[in-house]
Amino acid sequence: MSLADRQTRVGELAYGRAVTQSEIEDDKGDLPVVGRVLGTQPASPLTYWTALVPGRWLQLDDVVVTSREVAGRGTVVTSGIVTHVQARHEGASFESDVHLIADGTLPGEVVEAAEITVTRVEPEIYVPPTPGSAVRRALDDERDAALYFDSMDRMLPIGLGRDRRPVYANFDFVDGTKGAHISISGISGVATKTSYALFLLHSVFTSQVLGAKAVNTKALVYCVKGEDLLYLDYPNTALTADQALKYAELGLPAQPFKSVHVFAPPRPGDPAGTPNISGRAGGAVSPMFWTLQEFCRDELLSFCFADAEDDRAQYTLLIGQVAARLKREADPIGESGAISIASRTVTTWSALVDLIDEQLTDEDTRRDWTPGATALGSINAFLRRLHSSVRPLDALIRGDLDLRGRQAVSTSEAQVTVVDLHSLPDRAQRFVVGTTLRRQLLEKEASGSSDPLTFIVLDELNKYAPREGSHPIKEILLDVAERGRSLGVILIGAQQTASEVERRIVANCAIKVAGRLDAAEATRPEYGYLPATHRQRALLAKPGSMFVSQPDIPLPLAIEFPFPAWATRISEAGTPPTPPASKAAERRQRDPFARVADQPDPGGDPAPF
Amino acid sequence: MTTRLAVDPWDPSYGTPAGEQVMEESTARLTLDLEAPPDDWAPIDPAAGLWSPSEVLVVDGIRRIDARVWFLVEDEPAPMLGLACSYAAGVIRINGSATVADAQIRRAVFTACRSAETVRAPLAHYPIVHTAGGDPDALSLALQQQMRDLELVVAHNTRTSDNDLLVLDGPLRGRTTIPRTVGYIKTHHAAYLPSELNRVVADLRPRQRTPVFTIGTTWSRHTWYLRLPVDSAVPWAGVVRCECADTLSRAEAVQLADTTTALLPELASRPHKDPRAPQNLIPIGGLERLLRHRLGDATKLHRTLVAATRRAS
Repeated sequence: MSLADRQTRVGELAYGRAVTQSEIEDDKGDLPVVGRVLGTQPASPLTYWTALVPGRWLQLDDVVVTSREVAGRGTVVTSGIVTHVQARHEGASFESDVHLIADGTLPGEVVEAAEITVTRVEPEIYVPPTPGSAVRRALDDERDAALYFDSMDRMLPIGLGRDRRPVYANFDFVDGTKGAHISISGISGVATKTSYALFLLHSVFTSQVLGAKAVNTKALVYCVKGEDLLYLDYPNTALTADQALKYAELGLPAQPFKSVHVFAPPRPGDPAGTPNISGRAGGAVSPMFWTLQEFCRDELLSFCFADAEDDRAQYTLLIGQVAARLKREADPIGESGAISIASRTVTTWSALVDLIDEQLTDEDTRRDWTPGATALGSINAFLRRLHSSVRPLDALIRGDLDLRGRQAVSTSEAQVTVVDLHSLPDRAQRFVVGTTLRRQLLEKEASGSSDPLTFIVLDELNKYAPREGSHPIKEILLDVAERGRSLGVILIGAQQTASEVERRIVANCAIKVAGRLDAAEATRPEYGYLPATHRQRALLAKPGSMFVSQPDIPLPLAIEFPFPAWATRISEAGTPPTPPASKAAERRQRDPFARVADQPDPGGDPAPF
Repeated sequence: MTTRLAVDPWDPSYGTPAGEQVMEESTARLTLDLEAPPDDWAPIDPAAGLWSPSEVLVVDGIRRIDARVWFLVEDEPAPMLGLACSYAAGVIRINGSATVADAQIRRAVFTACRSAETVRAPLAHYPIVHTAGGDPDALSLALQQQMRDLELVVAHNTRTSDNDLLVLDGPLRGRTTIPRTVGYIKTHHAAYLPSELNRVVADLRPRQRTPVFTIGTTWSRHTWYLRLPVDSAVPWAGVVRCECADTLSRAEAVQLADTTTALLPELASRPHKDPRAPQNLIPIGGLERLLRHRLGDATKLHRTLVAATRRAS
């Protein structure tokens, strides 16, 4: 060794190099060393910085791993995720030096550094990584171990990571084994909350994570805004080959939902009660309404008053009393769901409202409906509010429709039941959500088993379960959040602002997802699960990008999910699952004599063969 | 009679470009009519269409005394002084971008003590460089010489083109055989020119030079003054002197003079960034900062030497 060489070596020693240059050059491919643990920033077992080897790069969300020897305990492997990257000119001390370096008069080097947030230390000896030690990209098994996928028994694909490999959620935290419920937050329109909720549903049904139980697992999806959920069983013609490939990478089929039944409110003014839906030419559709009989029997009156302003009013007590009276007094009449109260036949909601008005206004009959002490002011307020419900609810609460072949709103018809609310006024939306949710919960309670699971996808949770006040829907949603885990009812809730949703609901969600957030919203404590850099990134998250936080992994993972394989609007819709019903068939359905023909002849002559 | 005041652009701790003392009258032999007869002397703008090198290599070295050590030899009445030094030399290659082409760091103990052996400290080793004289000046001179030698090593290592220009920081003494090389002198200790020609220097506008002339002291070289861009009324502000080997022909020397007058003003530093602006060229300032950094932490090296000697005794 020449003097010069030796002195160079000594010079290197003075810098405490743990990895030699040749080691870095040798590793092409096998050992993808991207950098070394920085020594100018303190390294800790929870977070450390790495300086990148010139020519190598790291981006946010890359998974890296470094290891060190601990005397007497062996090798400690520290894995982590890149949470910050920065590049700067080393050797520049003034802002204008950047021009000198770029123009080529001042020597300066571009150095890149990355902050690594540790996700896992194996074995659990919390020692800091040694400055100078090599930082490698974590590949394959190492990457999966860094993200704890190796310790998950049942993995639900939830999207692709930045490295285009699948990212999983622990299904134990979805189906209620260890936790349940999913909360998705983000700005409307950009955050693609509903699309992600549907993608998760698709993943649950098709990823084999449920095994044989997948067939019986049901979902109740509320279509709150637009018609985007009405074509779930139509293939999406806008799905590109690249997007379809993403499904393949996730191990999921790029196909629409197989079994979908849509319930839509009856067309206003249509005596036949045809569902008010235009684009859905093929596939199952049923009108959604409640008969006056059901309304009285199930005491659905409270869901007509499911608004925040009802909570503050004095007539809350009155609602229960009137509902109880209706249940007691209403007698079914005929086969159209009509009722008879006080010896009068009622066939429409407006008629029922008028009747209640009459009964409560009349001094003599009022005593039968309410305890004597009820103030007249409260009764008038109640009636005013009741009258205002006539327009929104008249189409939904009926006693005048042919009930033959009627399918009541329930999840028994198909795997995915879509309840179309988008054309309904707010009051009616609340009525439908409250009624259907309660029914769902009661059915599950009656079955006594959490299997099969029922997923409920509900957007605008901040409207149905607001932080302030209390009303019947919020109580049901709270019940779902708190007891749903044991009942097998899993809520996939979406909201623009998690800060405005009842705290106990968000707190009960094991998996929290954030898409693009509003800047002011991102600073609220509800997003405490997002570290500062993630909050900043959430402000510019692209459609299709989400941050998913789950109990197993100490850091939210950035994922991208593929474009829907099902149509989200009529222009994207491919071939419908079943051919559109022909005009003739439709006419037969409406044929008033069809019923007669269907029924076997009760006591006539036997057939001559 | 009015008195005008002008502030010297250099940071006072670096002295002044004119040297600490009054510029001494030089006794050097001068050949003033190499390019133009003395009567025709006037500031010269570089000729158009001159030679432009494919790349410029700027060489500089730095040195630092990490510790003063004493060798206590048996049977010797007085301890002998040694300088534990770190020194470095580097080359900046400028060809569109400025990159550090080579940078070498050396450490050594300079001493006259014959029986001294390499000092091995935990962080660094200091081999012994024996000097002829043992007094501090002789040791410093030996350090200076070693650094100059290292500059030549790095310059030699990085020269790949035969169309480049090598700019050495400091006089060219002893290095005149290297081709296409100029020495770059920032401070003027001697007034080589007669006073009437010094006025030509004072009259230089930025990016102008004096005619090339020849100085013969203990060694002989061609030289010229040029002025870098500067905002100062001090007469010699921004004036530097370049020199090249006297073996070059008149035409070659004039070509080098023109090229440097065109090139160097582009590399001049700005006063708010460099205490010796504009003479301390940007690449030299950057290189010195980088080399000083690579010498390592002085306090740590001092401490490691203390630890090493304590263990040895």
